[in-house]
Amino acid sequence: MHKLTTYALSAALMLGTTPVWAQVANPLSDARVRQAIAYAIDMDTIAETLFRGLDIPADSMIPNGEWKVDGLNQYTYDPDKARALLDEAGWVPGSTIDMVYYYGDQDTVDFMTAIQAYLADVGIDMTMRKLEGDVTGELNVPPSEDFQTSGVTWDMAYGARAALALQEYFNVYSSDQTAYTPPTPEREDLIARINGSADPEVLKQAFYDFEEYENEMLSDIPLYYRQLQVYQSDRLDRHGADLGNENFIYDNNLINWTVEPNEDGEEVMYIGGAPEQFFEHRWLNPGGLTSQMLFDRLLTANGSLVTNGVQQAESYTLSEDGKSITFVLKEGLTWHDGEPFTVEDVVWSIETALKTPTMNSVFVSTFNAIEGADAYLNGDAEHVSGIVVDGRSLTLNLIRVDANVLTTFSQFPVMPKHLMADVNPLEFQQHPFWQNPIGTGPFRIEEIQMNDFTRFVPFEDYHGGTAKIDEVVAWPGGESDESIARNAAAGLLDFGSTRTLSNVEALREMDHITLTPVDINYTRSFRVNAFPFKPE
Amino acid sequence: MLTYILRRILLMIPMLLVVSFLIYLGLELTPGDAVSYMIPPDLGGQISPEQMEAIRESLGLNKSFIERYFIWLWGAVQGNFGYSLSGGVSISQIFLDRLPATLELSIAAILISTVLGTALGVITALKRGSATDITLTIGGMIGLSIPDFFFGLAALSFFALELGWLPVGGRLMPGYETFWDRLPHLILPATVLALSLTAGVMRYSRAAMLDALSQEFVRTARAKGLPEWRVNVLHGFRVALTPVIVLVGFRLPFLIGGSVVIEKVFQWPGVGNEFVSAVRSQDYPLVMMIALLSVLAVLIASLIIDILTAVVDPRVRL
Amino acid sequence: MNQHAPVRKSRLDRSFDRIRALEEAGALSSRVHNRSLRKFLSNPLASAGVIMFLIILLTAIFAPLIVPYDPLKIDLRALLQPPSAEHWLGTDKVGRDVFARILYGGRISIFIGLGSAVAAGVLGVAIGCISAYKRGWLDAVVLRVSEVFIAFPQIILVLLLVSILGQSLINLLLIFIATGWAPMYRMVRARVLSLREEEYVQALEAFGISTPVIAYKHILPNALGPVTVQITLSTAAFILAEAGLSFLGLGVPLQIPTWGNILNAANDMRILEQNWWIWLPVGLVISAFVLAVNFIGDGLRDSSDPTQQG
Repeated sequence: MHKLTTYALSAALMLGTTPVWAQVANPLSDARVRQAIAYAIDMDTIAETLFRGLDIPADSMIPNGEWKVDGLNQYTYDPDKARALLDEAGWVPGSTIDMVYYYGDQDTVDFMTAIQAYLADVGIDMTMRKLEGDVTGELNVPPSEDFQTSGVTWDMAYGARAALALQEYFNVYSSDQTAYTPPTPEREDLIARINGSADPEVLKQAFYDFEEYENEMLSDIPLYYRQLQVYQSDRLDRHGADLGNENFIYDNNLINWTVEPNEDGEEVMYIGGAPEQFFEHRWLNPGGLTSQMLFDRLLTANGSLVTNGVQQAESYTLSEDGKSITFVLKEGLTWHDGEPFTVEDVVWSIETALKTPTMNSVFVSTFNAIEGADAYLNGDAEHVSGIVVDGRSLTLNLIRVDANVLTTFSQFPVMPKHLMADVNPLEFQQHPFWQNPIGTGPFRIEEIQMNDFTRFVPFEDYHGGTAKIDEVVAWPGGESDESIARNAAAGLLDFGSTRTLSNVEALREMDHITLTPVDINYTRSFRVNAFPFKPE
Repeated sequence: MLTYILRRILLMIPMLLVVSFLIYLGLELTPGDAVSYMIPPDLGGQISPEQMEAIRESLGLNKSFIERYFIWLWGAVQGNFGYSLSGGVSISQIFLDRLPATLELSIAAILISTVLGTALGVITALKRGSATDITLTIGGMIGLSIPDFFFGLAALSFFALELGWLPVGGRLMPGYETFWDRLPHLILPATVLALSLTAGVMRYSRAAMLDALSQEFVRTARAKGLPEWRVNVLHGFRVALTPVIVLVGFRLPFLIGGSVVIEKVFQWPGVGNEFVSAVRSQDYPLVMMIALLSVLAVLIASLIIDILTAVVDPRVRL
Repeated sequence: MNQHAPVRKSRLDRSFDRIRALEEAGALSSRVHNRSLRKFLSNPLASAGVIMFLIILLTAIFAPLIVPYDPLKIDLRALLQPPSAEHWLGTDKVGRDVFARILYGGRISIFIGLGSAVAAGVLGVAIGCISAYKRGWLDAVVLRVSEVFIAFPQIILVLLLVSILGQSLINLLLIFIATGWAPMYRMVRARVLSLREEEYVQALEAFGISTPVIAYKHILPNALGPVTVQITLSTAAFILAEAGLSFLGLGVPLQIPTWGNILNAANDMRILEQNWWIWLPVGLVISAFVLAVNFIGDGLRDSSDPTQQG
């Protein structure tokens, strides 16, 4: 059906006529309707009851903290105001909104049911459906070229953004990426500002202005911030290491962790995140403890993901103007298979990453800023001219300031060229390497039983010293998997993080488990289709 | 007999071709493909439609449907069952990993349910009309009526969570070498699966036993003055076994798929679990091969049943 | 009808004889039917099944008269309340009345189970009658198609179809019908093939009565017994299948209350351990309903099968 609409639209465009017959006016293009929806939802009560007090109602996509401006409109529950705004905007009571979502769990359905009740109360009928199949595609259909008609067919989409860098929240509104909100000159300008400087103060002001702008516009109706709940068993001693954003990589003192020895005197730690069919490649979603155990990064970051030191690099220098960065690699580093880790691996990884579509957007924007990246991608050059190698040192020359260049190198893992040189970047995840990956990190893989468990043991030649734990056993299942509660109850889970309500509630009741909430960049919102017209 | 078997095997080929084509056609009609699943919607950065197209092209997904089908078929004929789209793992490898787990569970369940079911069936048939018969028959009906996963959840919450006697799920743990190491993990899922099968086997063998006991040659044997137990066992039971073999034989291939829900409840890493996740992530080649394998298993099982029936029951000739 | 019969007297006589024989057979069969009914009702399990079935069915149909609550109405201030005078079976994770959800959910679950079993039965019977009576290429083609359907383990076929068609109430009905018609068809076909060799059918043919009329009016009633049994057993199987699929999250969309979707909450280990009223009653209701249907099916089988005594 969706294909048909696309064909119909493109056929109509080819004839040079406006495809009036295939589109309908969109009441949500009126900001007052979007504001009314925000007023109609009692997010405080939902957070307190349905979400068991685990979520924080949101007033912006940007998380609370120093990057958040004061005095934003909270859109506190006010159904009368919502009705008045709808009235003012000419809303016909009883008109329907088509809401889509993509999570398959019961909590989502419950939340949608609650929203349906709140909207019905102010005269908005909401139908809901779960997106199936090409979910990312259906969320991101580009609009018509004149930005008059949306490509997406839905009115509102319930979803989340998990960001490594704050810019990611707003960059999706830019005219070359937007799928649901029509670009405005003010916003294009704001987007340029949040990306255009490496000076925190300048950036901060740009974000403040952007937040205020979006507070009125409501391109996304922010709903709530979901914290990450880090669980730790009392067998495990992390020796004072900080807790941080477990979704990404930070300096957590892993090699000094200890656990209570078992009856054989062995220190065995149990975690989640083992593969079911293959190891997930770490250029899209770099985080996770298993990723950290296997792969070192050039730099390290603290729990808030601010760069604070070096790992594979011996030193790094960022030029005054922010347009050049030089790394000197440590000497004598080796991969788990004994091959030396060299500058060649770094160069190969960056060049391959440029051609890999399934990439984290922060990495993409850094690597695309390297001089000569365009020519390399077009096939005009064999290598990226902005990557300069000199012995153990490597310099990247950038054509523009990239605010997140340090973040990139504290998260981006370099891959072994000697094992992956034959990879087709389009099928990066399909390479056999991901059946048994090898890194330079503090632990190496000892045994893999796909879908049952994976065993890690310390890498004896690790440059930071050998890890103290004798063995790490990882069970399959991600952070939302229900197996977390079961394994923890059975004493077979020592550390990890989850965002799933049912897991959190179950873990909270276990005496041997300590739960600590950690702020992460994870905002749930309604994406609102605000184009003047939408396809029928 | 040999020609009969050969003919049956030859007849399987057009069947498998038709089935594979139909599945391929069906999957073609579903929205989205494996590429859609490679980018989680929560990660804000999107990849452009052009890049998605490039991946599709690279994985051969943009070829026409007929072309892809024949490419797949040609590979399958040469013994290459293709690769899972999401991870590039060879499908034969996935089978090697998963099939033992599923077979272990199925065979254990079949063994328990056959022994238990036949025994109960024979007892109820011999004591027909007694209080034991009625109680067991009604008990069997109840067993057939409880959803197996509901039963599994209850067993899990009681024996694993409440009492802590048995593990909560999974199959392998580090250091497991032999079957005996895995046994504690097998007990709950196998028993739950077996209990839902036992009722069926019991009903079937009861009816078969009653039928056998009413046959003339049993009466003849009895008239010849053979002791009652010899009549029952040698004549009645042997004949009654045939339909039971048929039932059990038919169950085995169905268990490859039939244990999907139980595998999910107990996190058993078998083919059923793999099938559900392959269906979810629209991994066509994998869905295709699992479905085909289960069809093949059904066809082979029905052939073996026919042969076995002829061997066991002297009245049947192929 | 006999006016149109051939004119020659001796033949007409013989034909009349056959018709009389046929009528006698018809009358006989209706007496058998009565006897089956009596036999059915004298079976205590079957009677208990009918009573249980009716209780559950009627409470589902008359749900609005029994519970004041809307099964979809949430109450965020009354989450996970244990059973009380106000909420007989407590409330669920969003404060909906569990008892109301079981009653209203029964409507949909029973509709899916019974509806798809009956529809599959009708489809199977219709196709079976026609193809077995007509024989020829139609019969050959339909037989092959049914073989394809039967070669699949049911859950594999259902999951495959769910992934192709997507999740919705109507789709689930269609999928169950698609997976359920083949066994009925084969049963009816086998029965019709043997019946069409019976003398009375050949007599009707000799009268020039059209094929559909013979197939439906004269052969079908004699093949219906096993079909009815099969329909009841399919009803039980489809209700269990709906529950299983919903447990996997692949059944009816989660916002529609069905027995399976209510039970889906038991995926959460905590609910399983602490809030028995959410999953236990609905699990028992499913079991009781399926048991009732199985009792009925068993009773029907015994009463419609003349070779089985007692």
